[in-house]
Amino acid sequence: MLYYLLRRAVFIPVVLLALTLMIFSLQMTLSPVQRLAAYAPGPEFLKGGNDQIAALIEKYGLDEPFLVQYSDWLGNVLTGNLGWSETARAPVADALIDLFPATAELVFFAFIPSLIGAIWLGTKAGVYLNKGIDHAIRIFTILGWSFPVFVFGLMMLMIFYGTLNWFPPGRLSQWAEVVVAGEAFTRYTGVNTLDALLNGNLAVFFDALRHLIAPVVTLTYVNLASMTRVMRTSMLETLRQDYIRTARAKGLPERVVQNKHGRSNAMLPVVTIAGMELAYMMGGVVITETIFDYHGIGRFAADAASNLDFPGVLGFALYFALVLVVINLVVDLLYPLLDPRVKLR
Amino acid sequence: MLKKIALLTACAVFGPVGIGNAQVKNPGTLVYLWTSGIQSLDPAYIGNTPSTYASLNMYNRLLGYDGSNISEFVPSIASEVPSLDNGLIVSGEDGSVRYTFPIREGIYAHKVGLKAADGKIEWRYYDDLSGEERERIEPGFGEITAEDVRYSFMRAILQGESWMANAVTEMVTAGAYANIREWATQLAGVENFDDLDEADLVAVHDALAEKITVEDGKVVLTLEKSFPATLGVIALPYATSVIDKEWAVDHGAWPGTADNWVEFHKPDLGDSALFEQVNGSGPFMLEEWDQGEKRLVMKRFEGYMDGPAPLERVVLRTVPEWTTRRLQLEAGDADVVATPVEFLEEMKSRPGIKVQEGLQNIFGRSLFFMWPVQAEGNPAIGSGKLDGAGIPPDFFGDIDVRKGFNYAQNYQLLLEQVNLGNTVQLRGPTVRGLMGYTDESPVYSFDPEKAEEHFRKAYDGKLWDVGFEMTAFMTEGTELANAALSVLQQNLARINPKFRLKIQALPWATISDRIYTSTNPSIPMAYMGWGPDYSDPGGPLGAATYYLASTGLVAGFSGEGYRELMRQEFDALLDEAWKLNDPDERRPIYERLQVMSHELATTQFLWEDYTHVVSRDWVDGYVHNMILYGAWDFYNITKSE
Repeated sequence: MLYYLLRRAVFIPVVLLALTLMIFSLQMTLSPVQRLAAYAPGPEFLKGGNDQIAALIEKYGLDEPFLVQYSDWLGNVLTGNLGWSETARAPVADALIDLFPATAELVFFAFIPSLIGAIWLGTKAGVYLNKGIDHAIRIFTILGWSFPVFVFGLMMLMIFYGTLNWFPPGRLSQWAEVVVAGEAFTRYTGVNTLDALLNGNLAVFFDALRHLIAPVVTLTYVNLASMTRVMRTSMLETLRQDYIRTARAKGLPERVVQNKHGRSNAMLPVVTIAGMELAYMMGGVVITETIFDYHGIGRFAADAASNLDFPGVLGFALYFALVLVVINLVVDLLYPLLDPRVKLR
Repeated sequence: MLKKIALLTACAVFGPVGIGNAQVKNPGTLVYLWTSGIQSLDPAYIGNTPSTYASLNMYNRLLGYDGSNISEFVPSIASEVPSLDNGLIVSGEDGSVRYTFPIREGIYAHKVGLKAADGKIEWRYYDDLSGEERERIEPGFGEITAEDVRYSFMRAILQGESWMANAVTEMVTAGAYANIREWATQLAGVENFDDLDEADLVAVHDALAEKITVEDGKVVLTLEKSFPATLGVIALPYATSVIDKEWAVDHGAWPGTADNWVEFHKPDLGDSALFEQVNGSGPFMLEEWDQGEKRLVMKRFEGYMDGPAPLERVVLRTVPEWTTRRLQLEAGDADVVATPVEFLEEMKSRPGIKVQEGLQNIFGRSLFFMWPVQAEGNPAIGSGKLDGAGIPPDFFGDIDVRKGFNYAQNYQLLLEQVNLGNTVQLRGPTVRGLMGYTDESPVYSFDPEKAEEHFRKAYDGKLWDVGFEMTAFMTEGTELANAALSVLQQNLARINPKFRLKIQALPWATISDRIYTSTNPSIPMAYMGWGPDYSDPGGPLGAATYYLASTGLVAGFSGEGYRELMRQEFDALLDEAWKLNDPDERRPIYERLQVMSHELATTQFLWEDYTHVVSRDWVDGYVHNMILYGAWDFYNITKSE
């Protein structure tokens, strides 16, 4: 196990290095003037014309050779400096640290119900194959799978905010923002719900919860749909196995057969896909964050990319690669727990 | 138990629900949703309009603009507006001009310094002080004085980062130097800024200090010669915003010393000491600038010199998605929202929503002709020859080509059907309200016969015979640009089927790459709009100079042919007008320049730019000033049913 962990750990910097090299190479296909867009995003910033552009290019070293620019950046990264993001108007590391709690809060509330719901619905659909429940679940999941997130999100917003005025966008109401920004409120984690509880402020807690419901439902539905389909298929396959027949022949109650012998064994592919979904969500859910005015890592990454803010993009890529590698590792470590036949070497 | 918890949670979550849309939500707080963002809170650093929402409301300047008027000023930190009549502007016999600004007494910044028991200065909010504590404010520590004004101007000039800070350099040197680096290197007689030694740095500092002095508690600017836009530059909410010197120094800004100012020169964005700290004397104080949440919150300053603002708080938040902004406006959670022009009609029909349309901007929209363009491997000019499959690099160098293009555009159609009657045709570099504008100057109109006449004359008739193919460019997502270019494209094809204009939309980064990469651009024609930085048409940052000077902004990217035309026809007149002080003498020259821009068809002037405001109907008091590019001064804004 230790050897396995060490071997995986060695791969992490290799993956990160390859990724950043790739992104850096891609950005070098743009001219220095194009890359200047991060520092001068519109015509009003370039009124000094060619002289100003030349000075800015020199200042940011945009005309330096690829290797010089890359090694400078890498050197800074190794000292913990990921550069300055013009999109966030902050050091990249600070921006990621500031935005992480928002994304983590959203993911926490969306991922757990998605996973539990998917396992439960997938099991039911598998057990009641071609029955009413199965058909209902299949329609439900096909809808969730085929619904573009932005359409579903906008519908949620228009119905539950525009019409019913139940779940507003953003992270907090105006009055709650004032409370949170006040001296009496301590921001321990940046996670609004948790901070509100730690401060003993239930009004802020419920306000934060109210703002979370619509984006969480949107994310949950979309993720739940894909994971449910995998769970259902896996459950069907498992229920056809000999050991299930044996369990039934032994006279075990059907509930035990389905839950203990069926569901436990069917969960392996779901864990794999759930890991990928979690990593994707932790990388930020751009559309959901944009629609619901939720400032998280996804929106930052999308803005950085569209602004050609390469320090921001590279910082995000490092973060995302790290998340991906860690979650993959956790998923791999979970396999032997779910299936004793799996051994890590 | 679980059921009880669920029930309580539901009550708590849904409890606040049901506030009707007709009620004023967040009374006293104005929530403004936009797609922009604040660049920095340092007024000496900023150079774009969104950033002025902070500087305009949290800082003061010597003067302010009088309502929507772009050439009239009102006192602010200065107790009087200098003029020749009141003797505060004096012309010297050597041609120099001296501006004196008496300073109003009793103006305090948001934070003031009190001496603590240990003798150290403690910065506290002025609003939080008792009467007795206010008596103990250390003189100068938070009290706005002439020294603060001088420090603020000098700091901005020496920092030299933004275009607008450099405008102040141009002002104090009466246009002699474009920025402090140029001034310092020329003064020292060296080639590069990096070659300056400490003595050179001190010399330029001292030269600057001589031009901005404090005499008897008044700020005095001494310019070597006339700079007619001086008051206009001073009133802009950028680098002339006044900072409390003692506070700024205490918080890491330039300490006012002559020998080490270069350490504070051109800082990176986040390295500017005042990047995220504010201590101005404006009607609002900084409460929070959350860059992660893209939210700026300003709180009312009760000690404001003209009395507290009606609004208690202003929230500026970046919300890129239009539907989200719209729903928040309709729900009353937002009071003002940035609205795409195509949704204005829809918004007008929504209850409780107020739409103000056709608010004039200070600049126009045009199709810019550039010549010569880069010839090598440039797909925008096809074959690069006049053979029907391309254009020669200096295509627009022929005046008949430019005139033919100008007569081929249907301006009335664009004004009525594309701009829905919200604006007027652009007549040249200057728009309504600027010196040089008259509504009698000639304009082009759609005239296919005249277009044909000029096209037949161009290139000795060859253009008409063989035709052309070229690409015109626009920035992505600008529907009006697409309309203007499409109308022109169709009209050209109708005039002569061999005239093929292609249209390409690109991100701004790519457009700038193609117009700035070398002496000549690679784009032969592009839709753009450029606005002046003050209301005077002349001087380095005026509208006429921007468009018509060989050293102007437009000439900078339009190619050597364009620059040569400007040198031959416009530079001398521009210089002549700028040297004059008397508006009555200057005006006819700028009017002549406007006519000449038409006669020489320098550009295809399309329409004057305009903007709009979409708000809840409970929001009142917005005054549109086009020189501020529509930035909101929240001091007079009210929010009531």
